[in-house]
Amino acid sequence: MTLTTLLLLAAALIGIGIYGALSQQSFVMLMMGLELILNGVMLAAVAFWAFSGAGAPEGQLLTIIVMAVMAIEMAMGFALVVAVFRGKQADVTESLTGLKH
Amino acid sequence: MFSELFLPVLMVIFMLVIGGYAVAVLDRLVASALGTPQAGRVWLAPMSRGAWLLTQHANATEAPDWRAWRLAPALYLALAASGLAVVPWSASLVATDLVTSVVLWGSVEALATVVIFLHGWSANSLLALIGGYRYVALGLSYILISMFVLIGVALPAESLQFTQVVASQEGLWNVIRQPLGLPLFLIVGLGMTFWGPLNLADSTDLAGGTASEISGPPRLVWDMARAGMLVAFSGVAATVFLGGWLGPWLPGPVWMSLKMLAVLSVLLLLGRLLPRLAPERCVTLMWVVLLPLSFIDLVWAGIGALL
Amino acid sequence: MESMNHGLGVDIAFLLLATLAVVTGWRVFRTDSMVRASFFLLVSFIAVGVIMILLAAEYLGVAMFFMMAVEMTVMALFMVMFMMNPAGLNPMNMVHQERIAIGAGVAGFLVLGAMALLATFPDQPVPASLDPVRSLGNEMLGDSMLIFESAGLVLLTTMIGVVVLSSHRGRYGAAAEGSMPPGLEPGGDPAGKPEEDEEGEGGHHHHHHHH
Repeated sequence: MTLTTLLLLAAALIGIGIYGALSQQSFVMLMMGLELILNGVMLAAVAFWAFSGAGAPEGQLLTIIVMAVMAIEMAMGFALVVAVFRGKQADVTESLTGLKH
Repeated sequence: MFSELFLPVLMVIFMLVIGGYAVAVLDRLVASALGTPQAGRVWLAPMSRGAWLLTQHANATEAPDWRAWRLAPALYLALAASGLAVVPWSASLVATDLVTSVVLWGSVEALATVVIFLHGWSANSLLALIGGYRYVALGLSYILISMFVLIGVALPAESLQFTQVVASQEGLWNVIRQPLGLPLFLIVGLGMTFWGPLNLADSTDLAGGTASEISGPPRLVWDMARAGMLVAFSGVAATVFLGGWLGPWLPGPVWMSLKMLAVLSVLLLLGRLLPRLAPERCVTLMWVVLLPLSFIDLVWAGIGALL
Repeated sequence: MESMNHGLGVDIAFLLLATLAVVTGWRVFRTDSMVRASFFLLVSFIAVGVIMILLAAEYLGVAMFFMMAVEMTVMALFMVMFMMNPAGLNPMNMVHQERIAIGAGVAGFLVLGAMALLATFPDQPVPASLDPVRSLGNEMLGDSMLIFESAGLVLLTTMIGVVVLSSHRGRYGAAAEGSMPPGLEPGGDPAGKPEEDEEGEGGHHHHHHHH
C-alpha cells in the first residue's frame, strides 16, 4: 500500500465513474456514476493526507466536505427526478428536451 | 499474530453463541413467568429447535436473488459480530478498541437497514418486500434517535471510544446523568432488532414479513442473527449508560455480563408485555415525539458538559 | 518511495479491498437490477472506507460506512419507485453514447494513472504522535469552523430546495402545470394523466398520482 497504488485505485474508480456518468440513460444510474467519481476523489484526498501532507488536518476536512457535497448532490438529484417524473412520467435523460415546467 | 487476530475473533464468536443461547432461554423464562406455557424444557428447547431447523429443507421462491437472499442473514449476523467486537469487557479486555467505536456502532445500525431491506427484497415475494419497506421507513428514524443519544454520551467522555465513555462514568453513570438517554436507546434497540412491540418487519400480520419465505438453515442463521444483534445492543447499552465494567467487589467482565443480562431481561420483558404498534403510528411517534426528545437529551448533555 | 511502516497483512488486505472496490464499482453498470446496482456501489464505498481505516483515517473510514449505507438505501428505494425492472428479472442495457463514454473513462484513468506514476509527491507521512480524530475535530470546530458551518447552511438550503422542487404544489398552482406526459402509444392518451375532476370549477383539486 503506497501512495502510487492508492492513486491508481482512485484513478480506476474515477475512470469507471466517468464511464457511468456519460453512458447511463437513467438519471439515478447517472448519479451513481457521479458518486463513484467522488469515491475516487475522497480516496485520493485521504491518501495524500496520509502520505504527503504531514498530517495536515485540512486533508481530512476536504473529505468531509466531499461527503457533504455528495449528500447535496443526491438530494437535489432525487428532487429533480421527482419533478421530472411528475411532469413527463419518465426518468431517462433523453425525455428532457427542455426544462420548461 | 495469534493474539492479535484470532483471539478477538474467537472472543466474538464465543459471545455470539453464548449470547444467542441466553436470549432464547431468557425469552422462554420470561414467557412462562408471564403465563404463556412453553413446550419442552427451557434449557433444551432452543437447541432442539436449532437442530430441527438444521435438518429442514430450505424453502425456495420463484426467481429470488439467490446470492442476496442467502447472504442477508449471514450479513446481519456479521453486523451483530461487529457490534460485539467493540463492546469492552474491562479496560483492557476488548476485541477491537477502535478510537471511533461509537461511530462504528452507528454504522452497524445504518447497515442493518440495508441488510434487512435486502433480505425482504431478494425473496421476490410480496409480504417479504412489504416487511423490508416498513423497516426502511422506520429504520431511518431509529438511526437518527440513536445518533443523537450516542453523541450525548460521547460529550462528557470527550471521545468517540467506548472505553473512554465507560471511564467517564467513574463518578456518575450516564443513566442518571442523562435520564432520557437509556429509555430512548432501549426503544431504538427494540426497533433495530424488530423485537416485540416494534416487530413490524417480521410481524405476524405479514405472515412473518422479511422472514416469511425462509426455512431450514437460513432461518436458523436469521434467528441467531436477531438474537446476536439484541445481545450486541444490550452490550452497547450497558457500556454507554450503565457504566460498563465499573462496579465494586466483582471483576469487570462479571459486572459487564450482569448489566448486559439486566438490559436483555428488560428488553425481553418489554417485548412480551407491550402490544405491537401500527407502522404508520409508529413513524409518527418516532418523528413527532421521540426525535424531539432525543434533541432535548442532547441539549441536556451539552449543558451538562459545559457546566 | 514512502516510509510508512506496515506489515504484510496490511498489503494483502489492501490488494483484496482494492480489487473489491474496482470490481463492484464496475458491476454497478453491468447488472440488470437497479437495486443490486446501488448495493454494489455501497460495497465499493465500504471497501474504500476500510482502506481509509488502514490509512489511520479512522473517523472518515467509519463515517463512509454510515453515510453511504443511508444514501444507498434511499437510492435503492428510488430505483424501485421510478425504474422499470428493479428486480432485474429481465436483461437490461440502458446506455447511450457508449463508445464515447468508454473512451472518456479510459482516458480519465490513463491521465490520472500517469500522474500517479510519473509525478513525484513529497514524502511526508502522518507523524506517529498525531491523533487523527482529535486533529480533525479541532480543525472542523476551530480554524475551519466557517467552512464547516457553510456546509451546514448549504445542507439546510438543500433541504428547503428539495422540498420546494418535489412538493406537488407551487405558488402558481400544481407543480406539473402545463406539462403533458408522453403518450402510452403514439397519439394515445398520456401515461398517468390525472383524471378530469368531476367537481369542475372551484380550483384547488388534487392530482391523483399514485406512484
